[in-house]
Amino acid sequence: MSENSTSKKMLSLVLLAAGAAGLAVALFLDFSGSGSPIRGTLLIAGAVALLVGMYLFPTVEHHRSIINFIFLFPLLFTFAVTVIIPLLLGIFYSFTDWNGIKFSGFIGFANYTAMFKEPAFIWSVLLTFLFVVFNMILVNLVGFMLALLCTSKLKGVNFFRAAYFLPNLIGGIVLGYIWQFAFNNVLVQVTSKLMGMQNSVLANTKTAFIAIIVVYIWQYAGYIMLIYVTGLTTVPKDVLEASQIDGANALTTLFKIKIPMIASTITICTFLTLTSAFKQFDVNMALTNGTGSVADFMGSYLTNGTQMLALNIYNTAISKNNYALGQAKAVLFFIILATVSIIQVRISNKKEVEM
Amino acid sequence: MKRKVIAVLLTSLMAFSLAACGGGGDSGDSGSSDSGSSSGNSDAIRLVNGKIEIDSQLKKLAEMYEEETGIPVEIESMGGGIDIQGTLKGYYQAGNMPDIFVNGGATDFKNWEGMLEDMSGESWASDTEAAYVDEEYGTIGFPYTVEAIGLAYNAGILEEAGVDPSTLTSPKAIEEAFKTIDSKKGDLGLDAVVGYCAEATNLYWSTGNHLFANYIDGGLERDDTTYIDMLNDGGKVDEARLTDFAEFVGLLNQYSDPALLVSGTYDQQILNFASGKYAFVTQGSWIGATMTGDDADAYEAAGNFEVGMVPYAFEDGMDTILTNSPSWWSVFSDGKADKAKAFLQWCAEDKAQQVLVEEAGFISPFNSCKYVASDPFAQTIVDYQTAEKTSGWHWLGMKEGLAQNYTGQVFSDYAAGTLDTEGFVKTMQQVIEGCYAN
Repeated sequence: MSENSTSKKMLSLVLLAAGAAGLAVALFLDFSGSGSPIRGTLLIAGAVALLVGMYLFPTVEHHRSIINFIFLFPLLFTFAVTVIIPLLLGIFYSFTDWNGIKFSGFIGFANYTAMFKEPAFIWSVLLTFLFVVFNMILVNLVGFMLALLCTSKLKGVNFFRAAYFLPNLIGGIVLGYIWQFAFNNVLVQVTSKLMGMQNSVLANTKTAFIAIIVVYIWQYAGYIMLIYVTGLTTVPKDVLEASQIDGANALTTLFKIKIPMIASTITICTFLTLTSAFKQFDVNMALTNGTGSVADFMGSYLTNGTQMLALNIYNTAISKNNYALGQAKAVLFFIILATVSIIQVRISNKKEVEM
Repeated sequence: MKRKVIAVLLTSLMAFSLAACGGGGDSGDSGSSDSGSSSGNSDAIRLVNGKIEIDSQLKKLAEMYEEETGIPVEIESMGGGIDIQGTLKGYYQAGNMPDIFVNGGATDFKNWEGMLEDMSGESWASDTEAAYVDEEYGTIGFPYTVEAIGLAYNAGILEEAGVDPSTLTSPKAIEEAFKTIDSKKGDLGLDAVVGYCAEATNLYWSTGNHLFANYIDGGLERDDTTYIDMLNDGGKVDEARLTDFAEFVGLLNQYSDPALLVSGTYDQQILNFASGKYAFVTQGSWIGATMTGDDADAYEAAGNFEVGMVPYAFEDGMDTILTNSPSWWSVFSDGKADKAKAFLQWCAEDKAQQVLVEEAGFISPFNSCKYVASDPFAQTIVDYQTAEKTSGWHWLGMKEGLAQNYTGQVFSDYAAGTLDTEGFVKTMQQVIEGCYAN
């Protein structure tokens, strides 16, 4: 038995060592800029050898956790490569003067101070919060009303459900351009005939902001509706029947029975709209690309009247070619979103306990 | 307690993924460790072209070159709103740089400082004035066409209205001409005198770059950098010159088609001009391709009228239009530089020039080229060039994003009437300074 175990141990150790060496050589080849074609194969072979070596490692007490690790590894690895490493790199770059190609030095918190001295950025932050508040309320309201319609005994309810949900399946950029056409070419025809208004609603900051909200509701309300529909159909029939026998009218049923019964759905929908509104980017970019003017904000004339936070970050990095500053803004964006998510999880947990 | 830990973990996972989706800039970074995305044929010269509309012509060139020399050329065309420099940066991060790629001016070239091949030794370099020459790094841009910025006009309408375009070299003369044409609008079948569009979302480049280019270069010698230098020195502007310029733009606002002015589109603008509904249009020579391409039917119905260009003469005696290569091809030093240089030299020679001029509609920047494009604007440009009445395109050296994020909107506000001439000048000053301060 001991012989068997020793040979297994040897094999495992050899595999582990070979794997580690393979990985190290492959990485070294890559970082030293060599174009050697075997480095990819070497990397994969090294990783596989390492995993097999771990699996064969003769231990009883840790065997289970090693298996767990091996099963989790593909997910953790992908997650690290696509999320964790970019995030850390992003934070790293926000302290440099990186321009997307190279950086010449660390500049400490200069990007962060610059960002808060920029009225246009502060405007974007405030505008985003305003947008979030509007959307959280309006999308939920519209979505809930649509859900009520779609759970009533109308004819063709299924058709309407699909129809309301459909805008959500169209990508935001496409949707933005379609609506831009509607506002700039169609609506203008109407307004110029009726009121002599030759300029489209997108040319004025305030109306353009309203236009973005309208388009966003159009896109998102169907999705929220679907969640509410699911919520409403789970309300037990017997409770509803009982209330009917007790003489409750439709309104009382709605406020005293249905809404309290789907409280958790409301929480979910509120947070869904909250986070997605914060991240609003594609419709914003396609519809106005942040244009619009604000005559006097913190003593300066702003030319990014409808530019929300995500678009501001994008434009800072791409169109103004200031990647490091954009990265610093992205870090702030991350902090805001992380805070929102933490609050969300806390509240959801509390609700679950109560129910 | 354990539950809390899990909650926090889950939260941070979620937040991470949210930030990764929203952050935009993050996604490009992770590529540094895998540089295996090399293209199929490692012998081929790879060219990243920024004008997607001439993709097929370039592919034809590539075939011709392969037939002649046996060296394959891969053409990778980008355009239609793609951020080419951004994509190239991604390629650089991934170790997947093309051998020849497009650069649009000083700011673009600065991105690749020290990484581009000096081509001043090539024989085409002495055959053109449009190459991109850097003081430190030499000739690093190969010109492939010439485009012109001027106030384009419909020669037929001007003649009918009795306006001689050659006299339009002062703001007064232009205003008189606008007035004359405006009074005869009905007879001439015009919607408006000028097709000027100051829409800020999609056409910021027309106002913020091309129109504003006249403030920077209008009436100056080709190598005069007075106003671009002032601009790049912390965003300073010459108030007197800018005021004259603003008054001229005011004129455009006044005589433009109100349906186009604030909320119009590029397509609308060109289509209406090609259909003979405007006497002037505030676009450069590139609209020739659209007029004879997409809008060919309307253009033919309007009689395939002759076109020309007058200077944006916002001060007396300005008699130049602005011409330049709109972008250049550069050779990446770490690639197959010698092969790439040989290919560019071949492109400057007779056979390739014939394809570029006659099929792609380019106006050759090379003196030895004997072909003239069929483009409606080709003749005007050649005329201005032979009369040496051209100015440079120093607007390419403006700070990146100036037009898109700042000045385009100010032009739009001026057109919409929320700013008057004085307000326009003041706001421009303030906005430009703000841009340069960041």
